[in-house]
Amino acid sequence: MRSASAKRDGLTEEMIDEGIENFRESDKFTESEKIALEYSELMQFEPEKIDGAFYARLQELYSDEEIVELGAFIGFNVGYHTFFRTLDFYPMFSPDGHLVSQEESRRIYGDRPTSHLRGAMARATGEGESEIESGSE
Amino acid sequence: MPFIEPLPEDRIDQAGFGKLLKRSRDIQAPDELFVRILAHAPGYAKALHGAMHMAHAEGNVDHKLKEIIRVQLSRNAEDTYFTNLRSEKAKKEGLTEERIEAGCGDFENDPGFTDAEKWALRYAWLMYREPKKLNAEFYGEGKKHFSEAQIMELGGFIAIHYGMQVFMRTLRAFPMHDPEGNPISQEESEKTYGSSVGGRKK
Repeated sequence: MRSASAKRDGLTEEMIDEGIENFRESDKFTESEKIALEYSELMQFEPEKIDGAFYARLQELYSDEEIVELGAFIGFNVGYHTFFRTLDFYPMFSPDGHLVSQEESRRIYGDRPTSHLRGAMARATGEGESEIESGSE
Repeated sequence: MPFIEPLPEDRIDQAGFGKLLKRSRDIQAPDELFVRILAHAPGYAKALHGAMHMAHAEGNVDHKLKEIIRVQLSRNAEDTYFTNLRSEKAKKEGLTEERIEAGCGDFENDPGFTDAEKWALRYAWLMYREPKKLNAEFYGEGKKHFSEAQIMELGGFIAIHYGMQVFMRTLRAFPMHDPEGNPISQEESEKTYGSSVGGRKK
């Protein structure tokens, strides 16, 4: 699933992948963006590392209002994504915006969260699908 | 003091916060500390507190069962704030510390819980430990005990409360009251409840 509003604001799949897989080394993100991405990663996987020093770094770049907004948003998503995963449902639309059935959506997106650029786009359009199925994904 | 300081009440001048603060003082789970921290982002405070309250204290699943689940989840999240709070509403309805401990422990073999209650406790227990086990068969079992509306109520309740527990854990916060209900400082609260989340100090 992707935010249509963020896409209209210029967010690309390449940026999403970079923000998930390579934000620390990337030159595409500001220091503020990098620490927000780190906040999210740590809250889900290593919350014990979010200590006073980490919040002090956040406070150099964000107001308390923005930190609360970020922290609550991240916590909300940590909670809900796992719940939704257990319900085994898929987006109603393909990556190129077509209404699809749950079965078709499952075929397009696969059963593991991964980059749209590595499979879902091709499966939605049929372009390059044979290469993916033959193991090049 | 939490890493994000709670706003003093006289700085919370947004319309509608009186209701949130009163509700927090009445229920105590969460207490007003949570509202005052979230009040830095007023829109978030109202939306999240409203959703948390509805999921926890309203709806068609027993509030006492949801209170046991809330404590069980907060121990998994290792959050010193939510794990030490207790719902005044659940206490008035008869929930005891012994029952909470049983629901956080070996509930599967406890004859004090019905099969429906055991399923709900298992649902919360597995959600953030072994979510792959929450499959069609598991939900099929749940539908023998609960309506789909109740299962969604439980799932949504678990998700929002766990999410906020994970966030609050990082802030190193403690309840504003001791177990007898007396107001205490954050330093005194940490001394009273301890910095681990295994059990509740008397």
